[in-house]
Amino acid sequence: MQGELFQWLEAVRDRGEYVRDQLSHATPVFAVSRPEGILLLGIGLGQSKIFEVYDRHAVAALGNPVDIEKIRQMAIEAAHLEGFNRSPEDVTLRRLMSFNLSPALKNSFESVFQPPLIVEGVFAEVGETQEEDVLMEFGYDGQFGSVNDGLAVVSVNKAAATQAKTWLKERIRPHSNRHRTLGLLLAMWQAMSTGRRIGKDIKAATLEELDLEGRVVEMALLDRRLPGKVKYQALKVDA
Amino acid sequence: MDGDFLKLLPENPLLRIQTRDPKALEGHRLEATTVMAFHYRQGVLMAGDHRATAENLIYSDHVEKILPLDEESMMAIAGSPAVALEMARTLETSFEFYRRSQLQTMSLQAKVRSLSHLLKQNLPAVLQGVGTVVPIFAGVDRSNAVAAPAIFFFDPLGAQFETASFAASGSGSLNVKSILGFLENWGSPVPRKMDLKQATVLALRILTTAAQFDSATGGVDPSAGRFATVYSLSAAGVRQITQEEQGTWWPAAST
Repeated sequence: MQGELFQWLEAVRDRGEYVRDQLSHATPVFAVSRPEGILLLGIGLGQSKIFEVYDRHAVAALGNPVDIEKIRQMAIEAAHLEGFNRSPEDVTLRRLMSFNLSPALKNSFESVFQPPLIVEGVFAEVGETQEEDVLMEFGYDGQFGSVNDGLAVVSVNKAAATQAKTWLKERIRPHSNRHRTLGLLLAMWQAMSTGRRIGKDIKAATLEELDLEGRVVEMALLDRRLPGKVKYQALKVDA
Repeated sequence: MDGDFLKLLPENPLLRIQTRDPKALEGHRLEATTVMAFHYRQGVLMAGDHRATAENLIYSDHVEKILPLDEESMMAIAGSPAVALEMARTLETSFEFYRRSQLQTMSLQAKVRSLSHLLKQNLPAVLQGVGTVVPIFAGVDRSNAVAAPAIFFFDPLGAQFETASFAASGSGSLNVKSILGFLENWGSPVPRKMDLKQATVLALRILTTAAQFDSATGGVDPSAGRFATVYSLSAAGVRQITQEEQGTWWPAAST
């Protein structure tokens, strides 16, 4: 019995290393709460990283595209079921994460005879005001947490993500326009993707300045100003 | 057997729960309302009054009978409100779920069939005479650059028909069909040549006329600032014509 428990713990630990190793090849995704809504940015090799989930909800994720798809479908199904059975107002990120997505991720991670979900990301819920916006980061093992300062940087390299967040917080002002904000996010994406030291010498970037190597830039805005119930809007790359 | 579904019920009993008196269903109004859809220059205009009745009683004068389902489709309901509103809610969720999960919008034909399927599922309620719904559906396939908005009408069993000109449903529909049929032939301009403002004014005039001949149709009440529910569907998508816009455009209808 003791031996089996030890083997299980060992297997879970190995899975953690395996998942982190797989995720280390993925580039970061960002979510920023702004006066007009929540801006999401991801840059990938052609497969999407930013998705609409429900009327006021979206997700930005990195990892294995198949696993991103599983999480996406799970979130969409749970949100629509809740919205239909109760009402769209009852679909909240806290409940989606707590009762649907997090248990599924944890279960997948700890079921050692099944492949783990190689995915991390951030869910966003736009409110009527910026103060009501909700960002929740989630990990491959089911852990999740609210982002209280309106800026999420998701990367398997937690130290780099923390540095990037500090760098961005110092530069993104409440009055910063979207163009300026995107420039800063793009610069940080470039720095994190190339392993460059995050310091004062990094400047806001434009798409033309980035070395994308065939990658595709995806941006979306959960726009609280939109009159209808659907707030998600995919943005053109040159926005 | 002249095509009247209600008359078929006593003669072809499918369920034993029907009334023993064949005449009990006669005169029983299942679609006390007036909704319409017709083509105008930029697409389809859909309009309906706000009245809900229960036999001779006015239940409410604030009911929305034109329901946008997504950015590319809308539905006018006539019949049992409980069933009709649930159908609209089901379709709305279904279309949005499909768009988000499949990352593409459902085709127009699939949307029409979805409504048809719901109507077929509703057959037992129809046979009981308590849940009949006779909707009008309008949609456009925006993935097809040359596709124009289309109007579909249904029978209570789910048969779907596309119309090239107009459709109307409810107890006031005969008046609507007469007016629109006349205008299609001899109107100047014909409805399909009208711009949005002209088409909206026409819809308000028709509803006013229908209300004169049908007590179950609410018409419009400009003095109270209450107009109709009006939506347009064009290549740009579904758009509500607000009460304010109707109020601004209404004087043109009274001159």
